[in-house]
Amino acid sequence: MLLELKNVSKSFGGLKAVADVSLSVEKGEIVGLIGPNGAGKTTLMNLVCGVYRPSEGQVLFDGLDVTGLRPHRICRAGISRTFQIPRPFPDLTALLNVAVAVLCGKPRPRMGFGDALLDASHCLEFVGLFGKRNILARDLTLFELRALELARALATTPKLIMIDEVMAGLNPGESSRAVRLIRKIIEEYHVTVVWIEHVMKIIMEATDRAVVLHYGEVIGSGRPAEVANDPKVIEAYLGEKIAQG
Amino acid sequence: MVRFEHKRAELVIWLGDLKLGWSIEPRYWRNPLLGMALLAMLPLAFSGRPDFLTLITTANAFACIAMPLAWQMTGTGRLNFGPQLFVGIGGYTAALISVHWGWGPWATLPMAVLVGLFFAALFSPLTTLAKGLYFSLITLVLPLIFLELTYYFTGIFKGETGLFGIAPLVNLGRIKTNYIVSAYMSLVLLMVFLFVVFRIMQSRYGLYAAAINDDEEIAEVMGLNINVWKVICFTITSVMIAVTGWFMAHYFGTFAGVTFLPLPFMLKILLVVMIGGRGGIYGAIYGAYFVVILEKLLTVIGPTSHFLFPLILLILLFVLPEGIYGMIRRHRYREYYPTIRVRRR
Repeated sequence: MLLELKNVSKSFGGLKAVADVSLSVEKGEIVGLIGPNGAGKTTLMNLVCGVYRPSEGQVLFDGLDVTGLRPHRICRAGISRTFQIPRPFPDLTALLNVAVAVLCGKPRPRMGFGDALLDASHCLEFVGLFGKRNILARDLTLFELRALELARALATTPKLIMIDEVMAGLNPGESSRAVRLIRKIIEEYHVTVVWIEHVMKIIMEATDRAVVLHYGEVIGSGRPAEVANDPKVIEAYLGEKIAQG
Repeated sequence: MVRFEHKRAELVIWLGDLKLGWSIEPRYWRNPLLGMALLAMLPLAFSGRPDFLTLITTANAFACIAMPLAWQMTGTGRLNFGPQLFVGIGGYTAALISVHWGWGPWATLPMAVLVGLFFAALFSPLTTLAKGLYFSLITLVLPLIFLELTYYFTGIFKGETGLFGIAPLVNLGRIKTNYIVSAYMSLVLLMVFLFVVFRIMQSRYGLYAAAINDDEEIAEVMGLNINVWKVICFTITSVMIAVTGWFMAHYFGTFAGVTFLPLPFMLKILLVVMIGGRGGIYGAIYGAYFVVILEKLLTVIGPTSHFLFPLILLILLFVLPEGIYGMIRRHRYREYYPTIRVRRR
């Protein structure tokens, strides 16, 4: 068991964004996290990454209780993430963006600045951005920014990558490139992936298991094909009338 | 057999088989060593004019405040509106010890560093507790509180008149020599600060500072312990500014909070940083000389200069958002070019 959430809840004032979610992710698994808008997917990710502190419950990662730890501690423990709206360091070049992650991620003693740049170059080459290493991050296109985020996530040498809606805003060609890239990452780096996505087709194709969130609660979990035919899930996505036929 | 050969960006001199090349590519003319050599020649060129020598020393001291401040603004991601607080702390420490105990400048330096370190460590948690706008407001108010204290405890700080009779920086007998040596000491201080700040900004710690300036939340998600780095950055830079205060107290021989702590002095320092080139390290030196020379030129027109000086600088801020150094400097992307602004968060 790599990641385990035990009865995790998060409230913002009166709004319960995540309610009593229990979830476990095995090592090497690719888990799709789906749900309609406002279902609490990104909040759940923020809870795991330490951006928010859970109101209740416990987050265990690799046998370690990471509940309420600061984000940098969680990152060093081995959880890395990407953002739905890419958030690079805009005034740094692509190479330096990744170098920050290399230097600050999993502690590697005797990692000099030059070594870090070399390592960052490898990560950039892996995602196909090596040619753009000296371009400022703010001048990159959306797809390149997504690739940069993946490179940054890889550079921290994570055990678990949480991917937040890579497809948002990409055209079909770019989307398929992004999916190929993520598959390549999984194959070569053997990381566990929690993948938040709106596009059901990709979840069906690429993941081992899908977990459906609705109003902050888990309403379904299982093989993607089974989940997609679950009446509760169809109701959550399309409404009661269509679900009834 | 001596032969000259001019290639595209290189002047080659052949001494028989020995090849001597001298690169004349334009950007090498902006080599820091050349700039430093120019600055080193200035005091000699104006050796007969004590007022100009004071000007040079003041400009160097301004740059000594602006360079650490540029690093601090980058490394904490916050705009500090009160760098003169630490000028005051360092200066008053040196002045009080020198006046009351009769210590010389080299004896008061460690004390100024220690007291500066104490207060820097005391105020450094502000960088993690206060968000951008509040940090700016708090740092704006702190020097003014210190100024009030110097009035309130006027028996100690001599609020209105300031402390005088501070041991001079150098005393070699001749006044003229003292001025030249002081100017060179300020230049040495400038070079030490430049070396320290430049080397740090080029290293991985400069990269951490840049990451914190760009987006500190992301830096933390990437595994950077931002609180520790912000505190360290604030502390070191504040101590450096306190050392400048020590220098100014011993250089002028008097130290009054009313000169250094109020807003006009802060305005000058901030404009040195911004006009110099948006937190650029070398830009701070250009900016310091520019501001000091402009102020001197404007004294010719009399009292009008008091409002004309800030006005001109504010207009320049709008006309030249990237500063004077920004005009000279083209964007070289390997170099970090920070954005400095007050952040809401």
